[in-house]
Amino acid sequence: MSKEEFTALAARYMDTIYRVAYSWTKNPDDANDVTQDVLIQLYKTQKEFESDSHLKNWLIRITVNQCKMLFRSPWKKIEDIGKYADTLGFEEESHLALFQAVMKLDKKYRVPVLLFYYEGYSTAEIASILKIPEKTVSTRLFRARAKLKDYLKEE
Amino acid sequence: MTDREQFQAVFDKLHASPDVLTEVLNMTIKENAVPFRKKRFTPKIAAALAALVLAVGGGSAAYAMDLGGIQRTVQVWIHGDQTDATFTVENGSYTLHCKDADGNEVTRGGGGVAYENGTERPLTADELLEEINVPEVEYKEDGTVWLYCFDQKMEITDKFEDDICYVQLEVDGQTQYITVKYQDGYAMSPHGYIQPEEFN
Repeated sequence: MSKEEFTALAARYMDTIYRVAYSWTKNPDDANDVTQDVLIQLYKTQKEFESDSHLKNWLIRITVNQCKMLFRSPWKKIEDIGKYADTLGFEEESHLALFQAVMKLDKKYRVPVLLFYYEGYSTAEIASILKIPEKTVSTRLFRARAKLKDYLKEE
Repeated sequence: MTDREQFQAVFDKLHASPDVLTEVLNMTIKENAVPFRKKRFTPKIAAALAALVLAVGGGSAAYAMDLGGIQRTVQVWIHGDQTDATFTVENGSYTLHCKDADGNEVTRGGGGVAYENGTERPLTADELLEEINVPEVEYKEDGTVWLYCFDQKMEITDKFEDDICYVQLEVDGQTQYITVKYQDGYAMSPHGYIQPEEFN
């Protein structure tokens, strides 16, 4: 692809990549690093994409893989979610509470939750992107909802 | 407000740093799509057990090798086999190039900072060298999970309970307690098992 095309695609999808990467890593620096790595892979790929959704699914898949690679490293720092949340400037307390509740979830729930509720993917699409059975996605979403309910009740 | 609208409002707030795009575009302009190293070296170690705290990020990225730095040949353990590797250090980060027992090219990179008396500095070559033989957890395509540490290799596939595995290894006559989170890193300590919630 041309540099102009790449720039436009990078600008369009970098936040999507970042959100998935942050949901996985819970670390803004790691998420930015992953975003950079994924954009470089996009620049270098010879892959032909049939549509925008095909490209977006591929980017999310690559992002998850990149996050997994990152977590093969021995040590990871636990980041203070509260500090990062402060920088996001939530206008409503309920939004801050929801953000913190989602980040309190285990990683295996966070990404499906983001893809389902934010990106609007179906369970079948999430299963295809994350390469896990659709039933597993449904179960994770069900459990995530129950946990979120509990966490938000505790607030 | 529906659930989806709530999530939209929350996650709309998350944005990648604009520096990411600038950096990537700079690399494409230079026709060099492989970053030499990450710009950032944040602390990676969760538990500070000594006055000198080493913080090392393991290598997920392959970095360009021809940009200088201190280079030497070292011996490393790759998947339980010892082999020669080219070890290059520049400004607190390293790259390691070698071949595994099957002749496959292996590239690792990493870097870190140390904290001394409240100040931060890049790790020295010797400090990085101590880190290159840290244990490795491999998730194979056949679904098995292996732990490598120097000349030892152990299949730990069946040792996971709720995605957590606890194993002990003897390293240099000392017992090391290793906690592995499935596909989520590991922590090692000679003082006992580090609890899963204490890292990652």
